[in-house]
Amino acid sequence: MPETAQLFITCLIDSLYPSTAESVVRVLQHLGVQVEAPPGQTCCGQPAFNAGLRPQAAPIARHTIEVFEKTSGPIVIPSGSCAAMIRIGYLELFAHEPPWLERARRLAERTFEFTEFVVDYLCVTDLNASYPGRLTYHPSCHLLRELGVDRQPRQLLKSLRGVEFVELPWAADCCGFGGVFSVEQPEISTAMLARKIENIQAASAPLVVACDAGCITNIQGGLLRLGRPERVVHIADLLAEALSLGGSHAG
Amino acid sequence: MPDSFQQNIRKALADPQLQGALDGNAERRQAAFTAAFESLPESRQALRQRAHAMRQTVIADLDRYLDQFAARAAANGFTIHFAHDETQAVEMVLQIARRSNARLIAKSKTMVGEEIHLNRRLEQAGLQVVETDLGEYIVQLRGEPPSHIITPAVHLNRQQVARTFEEKLGLPYTTDIPALTGAARQVLRQTFLEADIGVSGANFGVAETGAIVLVTNEGNGRMCTTLPPVHIALMGIERIVPTLDDLALALSLLPRSATGQKLSVYTSLIQGLPRPGENEGPAERHLILLDNGRGRMKDSPLAEALLCIRCGACLNACPVFREIGGHAYAGRHGEQTPYPGPIGSVVSPGLFGVERFGHLARLSSLCGACKDACPVDIDLPRLLLEVRSQGAAPSTPPEPRPQSQVPIGVRLSLHLFSLTARSPTRFALAQRLGGLFSRMAPARNGWMRLPAFTGWGYGRDLPRLAAQPFSASKTARRLSPKPGDNPLRKKALTGQPISASPLVMTGPAAAPVSQDLAARFSQELEDLGGSVVGCTAADLPQRVLDYLASVQVRQIQAWEAPYLPAGLLDALQAAGIEIAHAANPEIKVGLTGALAGIAESGSLALPAGPGCPLTASLLPEIHLAVLARTHLYERLSEALPLPAVRNASSVVIVSGPSRTADIEMTLTIGVHGPGKLVVFLIDSN
Repeated sequence: MPETAQLFITCLIDSLYPSTAESVVRVLQHLGVQVEAPPGQTCCGQPAFNAGLRPQAAPIARHTIEVFEKTSGPIVIPSGSCAAMIRIGYLELFAHEPPWLERARRLAERTFEFTEFVVDYLCVTDLNASYPGRLTYHPSCHLLRELGVDRQPRQLLKSLRGVEFVELPWAADCCGFGGVFSVEQPEISTAMLARKIENIQAASAPLVVACDAGCITNIQGGLLRLGRPERVVHIADLLAEALSLGGSHAG
Repeated sequence: MPDSFQQNIRKALADPQLQGALDGNAERRQAAFTAAFESLPESRQALRQRAHAMRQTVIADLDRYLDQFAARAAANGFTIHFAHDETQAVEMVLQIARRSNARLIAKSKTMVGEEIHLNRRLEQAGLQVVETDLGEYIVQLRGEPPSHIITPAVHLNRQQVARTFEEKLGLPYTTDIPALTGAARQVLRQTFLEADIGVSGANFGVAETGAIVLVTNEGNGRMCTTLPPVHIALMGIERIVPTLDDLALALSLLPRSATGQKLSVYTSLIQGLPRPGENEGPAERHLILLDNGRGRMKDSPLAEALLCIRCGACLNACPVFREIGGHAYAGRHGEQTPYPGPIGSVVSPGLFGVERFGHLARLSSLCGACKDACPVDIDLPRLLLEVRSQGAAPSTPPEPRPQSQVPIGVRLSLHLFSLTARSPTRFALAQRLGGLFSRMAPARNGWMRLPAFTGWGYGRDLPRLAAQPFSASKTARRLSPKPGDNPLRKKALTGQPISASPLVMTGPAAAPVSQDLAARFSQELEDLGGSVVGCTAADLPQRVLDYLASVQVRQIQAWEAPYLPAGLLDALQAAGIEIAHAANPEIKVGLTGALAGIAESGSLALPAGPGCPLTASLLPEIHLAVLARTHLYERLSEALPLPAVRNASSVVIVSGPSRTADIEMTLTIGVHGPGKLVVFLIDSN
């Protein structure tokens, strides 16, 4: 009987990059997972939480908990920051509401970021796929530091036949997104983004792979504003392409 | 946030000189940080978790540790003063100054001093206050506050320093950094010798022994706590470590995290007043323990920030600090805080009020580099979120907070978003409307160029909303869950990272340790700019004479004969060397013994005592030290518990010649303490 996993789409991917959600589904199905997408999903509530607006974040989080409580089995999220919100942020948010805290904890226990799920849960480190191209990897901050997920996406990328993986200089430096920070402090955010783009240039990589739609939107938006040719893609899209599963990546 | 606040940020971003300085700081510090932990047998992660637990123990039981510390320190001869707030603390200093008829105050670096605005208040009372740390001295001359917890003048270049020295000291314009440092040394040397009071900070207080610890590099801290007749130390009540072992742990982390050094040049343990027979040192030592909001913070959700050991690593790791520098972290009414950067964005609102400083917590993308860098593993992002939450709340009496710190546009959008995202129908409707509107906006390849005032559009494009969200797609409908069972398999997560593998600021596993302590000691000390001369006890007098001849010196200050190898002083005297035991600023060479050597860091432990004046290793330009090989230890933690160390009125751990990098991060050897250190490593004592 195939493994069943619940897909948490995330508000950004749902609204901006539906084809990335398609890629996630295709890759998981290719790996033998039966994917389910509970209806009625909206958002994990992180933007409001990070902005300090906990009373506004809580109803969103409660809704998400309610949607997924009805399911069982692992929850897979193609976003490090959303997975971190559920695993860590929810425990902060509901620290003083024991019943919700318990419900959040039960959810957190079965929540995985996408690459973490593939490598650590499904134990797949080599997809037997090809990508004969040069690429680099940008580790998103919440994925890297809050979840400690870094080895997994890199393993998957390096396993691609024919790939030329180049290390991004100062890879762990924040791209400047930070959710509301990007609109509250646009000048600082843009300065940080400019640095990230300089480092991408220095890597001479036409393609940047990342696991978080926030970073992807920020970095790709900056590259396009500068008229630069580099493209940023979600790892699910890249893997789907490498597996020849149809669909194409952004740009 | 106030307009002037945003203007200062823009100014900082547009200042190429500041940008260059901040880049230089970040790059150098990050490189040094990674290398510094390689020599330790435990991983940095293990060490900082231990340090976190240790500091957590103290803060959780602060009253008890504070009482223990104060009682021991008082028994050692310190006069203890508890200051509830900055006004009380300043008043205490003024009272001491009045009683001593003080005119001139020499200050070594103290952030608590900045916190209580000490200089300004002392000057208003007619006292002259001179900062003696080179970076602090420079910003004092310029009338500026420090811009960094550890390197106060990091925002300046050499040209600016040169101009300042020209204007304020009449020094002919020169950008030669050794020359600038030498000029400061000359001026400040007079200050040390003439000051009525020396004011210092304290990096740690050791509860077990009642000692305070100063971690410095230039020698000015030693000068301020040794030469003037009155010493006043300022310390926050939270800076306690329980035991000497805990101190060794903290010292293995603080200098490495701050500047990449294994130990700072001078680690001073000040354990009380000079004993009978010690002919130098202050007659009074005062310790002012400052609360100023720490007691309240300890019982608040921000308590974890009190674990901070003020290393500055988070500032050096922060990508936002790197862009704007310390001066941009100003309060609601434009006031400066001594604590900028990530830790400052928690401690400043924590101590001085969320109303005045809470907005600082919004100067962050929450990337977590600060938490990674922190040697006591403070969860800064969590604390920043806590401050944001407090700052966002509408005011409730009696707190007169006028308004939410969340900008109105952000607040309204997120409020609206919250109403939408808690309901799938509303959310889907919002997506459709959003999709409609974004298709009306012009776009290239699906990406829109928004105007700058939107914030986002200032620096990047934004994709249109998809015509059809995934949740409305055929795929999504097909994937709606079917009823049935799926047994939960494999691992359950606990909300903790499965594998913490931060990329930044970690080093490889520790290098294998050489068993030859003497060889390690020599290598370490030479790396620091010191020299080691190996010889037998019999050869020692001749080697010392040879050295003195090479520098053409015939007069030295030395420890008394019983504390040096037998016959050494006699042999020197017989060869015509004049030997003084009392401090004399004209003497160029000091000769001391050493209680112990520490191989890991190339350090010497010199206790004060009768016949062992510490000025011999402080005032002269050249310091000669005799160390027996048999007194070499591998680590600081082995030397600290030695009875002679514990029982001394003060002990200095010397790691090389004095140094500073306060001007443009350029290293200069030889500041206030000796610029030359030669250790004669003899086979027996």
